Amino acid sequence: MIYNWKTIVKNGLPLLTIAVIAEIFAGQILQGNEKLLITLPIFLISIPVINSVGGNIGSVLGARLASGLHVGYITRSLKDKEMHDNVLISLLIGFIAYFVLGIIIYLVASLGNNVSDIDLIEFVTIIVLTGFLLVFVIAIVSVITAFISFKYGLDPDDIVAPVVTTVGDVLGIGFLFLITGVFGIW
Amino acid sequence: MYAKEMAKQSLPLIVLCGLGAIVAGSTLSLMVDLFNKIPGLIVVIPGIIAMRGNIGTALGSRLGSAYHLGIIDDENLWNEDLKQNIIGSFVLSFLVSIIIGVLAYISSLIIGVYPNPALLITIVILAGIISGLILNLLTIGIIYLVFRRGYDPDNITGPALATFGDIITMLCIFGSALLMEAIL
Repeated sequence: MIYNWKTIVKNGLPLLTIAVIAEIFAGQILQGNEKLLITLPIFLISIPVINSVGGNIGSVLGARLASGLHVGYITRSLKDKEMHDNVLISLLIGFIAYFVLGIIIYLVASLGNNVSDIDLIEFVTIIVLTGFLLVFVIAIVSVITAFISFKYGLDPDDIVAPVVTTVGDVLGIGFLFLITGVFGIW
Repeated sequence: MYAKEMAKQSLPLIVLCGLGAIVAGSTLSLMVDLFNKIPGLIVVIPGIIAMRGNIGTALGSRLGSAYHLGIIDDENLWNEDLKQNIIGSFVLSFLVSIIIGVLAYISSLIIGVYPNPALLITIVILAGIISGLILNLLTIGIIYLVFRRGYDPDNITGPALATFGDIITMLCIFGSALLMEAIL
């Protein structure tokens, strides 16, 4: 027997506690904007989607950077061409994914009559802008986390995914309300 | 051009996970009445989902390693190593659920919202334990099928658990909140 439940709990608890503290911040941003979410539930549908896409793109980018650093075709430089290409592709994938999913969310929400106060173009624009901003910041966080962890001899494969998914959850929710605020939807 | 390859390989999966998230989000949008009735409930949502995702994928990835180490396989699945993994994942779910409930309560007090602490913490623990139970069973089921077919569990459990996990977790929060709101 190599596994012991006490070791599993001891190893898991500190990181989980840090993650959960960050997620409570995200939850408080939701509570602060509860009125908007209750009047326009289409944004409630959007929240897991915004976070899922952002987290996945960040994790994929992190895994690719980690492999590149390990093998040596990516160097720890902010001018690295390969790294720039990876970031640009992430932004492109984010743009397409948020655009497609934004339209699908609107269609799903219209089945439940949740769209009376917002039109398709306005909604998709909000989702794409939120998503683009999120992927942009997540990409930066992903590069910095990968470079720093690699510099200190830690495996970026272990570090980048949990960091970007947690940071992404808080930022995704924050950016959504930032953009809806800019559009005058409160 | 390898950039095109990268987009072609990861875009479909990212959109597919996004569709799963739409199902989770639709469940969330059905809870507006409960958010009105139970102050603080909306605060625990990101925390529970993140906890479930972290504990679930770590369990899946440990079982994947155990398979590669030859500790478990489809003939020898329900052994002491699997039990320790399941117990560990349950104890973590229970402890982290309490932390989420308490933090949501305290942080709400600070910003001037006054939730019912017993109601809020019970909902989180109930949702954490029930979703843990369902997802642990699902993980064992997936692992068993993957072993039988001779696939590498490392490639399957992560995405499968991430997609089903969010939906099942949302449904468990919804159910627990409905139940506790009716009782208390």
